[in-house]
Amino acid sequence: MSAITIQSVSKRFPNGFEALKGIGAEIQSGSFTVILGPSGAGKSTLLRLMNGLETPTTGEVRIDGVTVDSGKLRTIRSKVAMVFQQFNLVDRLSVVTNVLTGRLGHRSWVGSVFYLFRKEDMDIAQEALSRVALTDKAWSRADKLSGGQQQRVGIARALAQHPKVILADEPVASLDPVSSEEIMNLLREICDRDGITVVVNLHQVELARRFADRIIGMNSGKIVFDGSPQQLTQSALRTIYQREGIEDDTSLDMALAYA
Amino acid sequence: MTPVSTWRWPTPNGLPPRSLIISALVLLCALWLTAPIVEVDFVRLFGSIGKMAKFAGQMYVTPDWHYVPQLLRKMLETIEMTVLGTAIAIVISLPLGILAAHNATPHLFVYRLTRDLLSLMRALPELVWALVFVSAVGLGPLPGVMALAFVTVGFMGKFFAESIEVVDPKAVEGVRAHGAGWLQVRLFAMLPQALPDIVGSVMYILDHNLRAAAILGLVGAGGIGYDMVMSMRMFQYDRIPLIALSIYLVVTALDRASDYLRSRIIHGSRKSTFAT
Repeated sequence: MSAITIQSVSKRFPNGFEALKGIGAEIQSGSFTVILGPSGAGKSTLLRLMNGLETPTTGEVRIDGVTVDSGKLRTIRSKVAMVFQQFNLVDRLSVVTNVLTGRLGHRSWVGSVFYLFRKEDMDIAQEALSRVALTDKAWSRADKLSGGQQQRVGIARALAQHPKVILADEPVASLDPVSSEEIMNLLREICDRDGITVVVNLHQVELARRFADRIIGMNSGKIVFDGSPQQLTQSALRTIYQREGIEDDTSLDMALAYA
Repeated sequence: MTPVSTWRWPTPNGLPPRSLIISALVLLCALWLTAPIVEVDFVRLFGSIGKMAKFAGQMYVTPDWHYVPQLLRKMLETIEMTVLGTAIAIVISLPLGILAAHNATPHLFVYRLTRDLLSLMRALPELVWALVFVSAVGLGPLPGVMALAFVTVGFMGKFFAESIEVVDPKAVEGVRAHGAGWLQVRLFAMLPQALPDIVGSVMYILDHNLRAAAILGLVGAGGIGYDMVMSMRMFQYDRIPLIALSIYLVVTALDRASDYLRSRIIHGSRKSTFAT
């Protein structure tokens, strides 16, 4: 069964930039997909469409058969969690409160006015924190944590929401190699153990090869590669990362030689 | 021979931007032309130094110590008016501030309407509103509190809105992406981030309101103002320094409290801003 269906989606921004040019894909439930591509290829836009943070100009995105549109955003978002490159935590709130904001989609505004949560929400948040091994930091302020720890809070917030899908937009782009490894392991483990569909945008070809079930390559708004890590050959990488109008791209050659 | 290095501005041609030069010239001309209208006259200014000194000299008398108990009572009333007026204003300003922030308002029309309402509320000073409320509810601190709260909402709502407008949109997106509703996004992502600014505004407004409350007595709206004006009129110069000193002390205490509160909220601990 497919968790995410993308059907001939294109996206043109008000400034005229066409980020996506008619894209179609099915993403299987419980799979781990990595999207590769140069900056500006439309990876982030594609991910943000799946969460309703952007709306497609044409075509549609369906999550579990439900079309993502402005009327059902809260329902969709309570099933689709998002992990960001810059973590996007509320710095001034405690770690546990940040994780609890993952529960807001399931709760009405009545208790929220007084910052009240239910006992079961608190248990869910604590459990999510223990999954990312941050129980001892629960009451620290989010901005007191290191980058890797903040990203783990971001993942705990996603988990607390009990999502069907986790979208991660370059989750390791601002982290050191060891923290990156930790974060990728966590995401892979969440996919394997909880059966949550994970879609990750990455810049690291090597991480994509090691963690993905399936790799989607994008270049200037189109899907140019779709296959398993084994099928990601040098020539496939060349198609993904090629730059328009540059004949002998030595930078490309060097980059791929070490990928 | 190496050329002598010269000064230059960080612009393409090394000169200040033309718009800046023109604005400065226009401003200077405007000041030059308007000074006589408000009777800024240096001869008169320096000629009055003697009279100023004489007035200040009259303050140099033994303070009227018998007046202290009444002063304290009146000062306490002034502080109570300030705190109450400001507290009422906070409760009203928070929702209005959200409606008047362009990133939090439900609709552009609501935004404009709230902004205009806030401008209207602060268009006239406290003293004028106090006159209105005195004629409505009678003499005493109550019309004073009402006037303070009214004008304060006008300022505070605008300050709160501006604090909300500069919050980091990334955290807002982070909370929104997880299915939080309209009000939840404002409460959990925007307000916590705007809090240090909001506390700063509240502390400044408390300071301002204390000084405003200190003159409301002028129109019979309670507080220390009545005593101050009466001692001026009755030439009781032994009281004026005491009144001024008491206002100064309370404002200074507020300033210290503000510093402490802000550093606690910004750093999340007692850590002083100086100890790094």
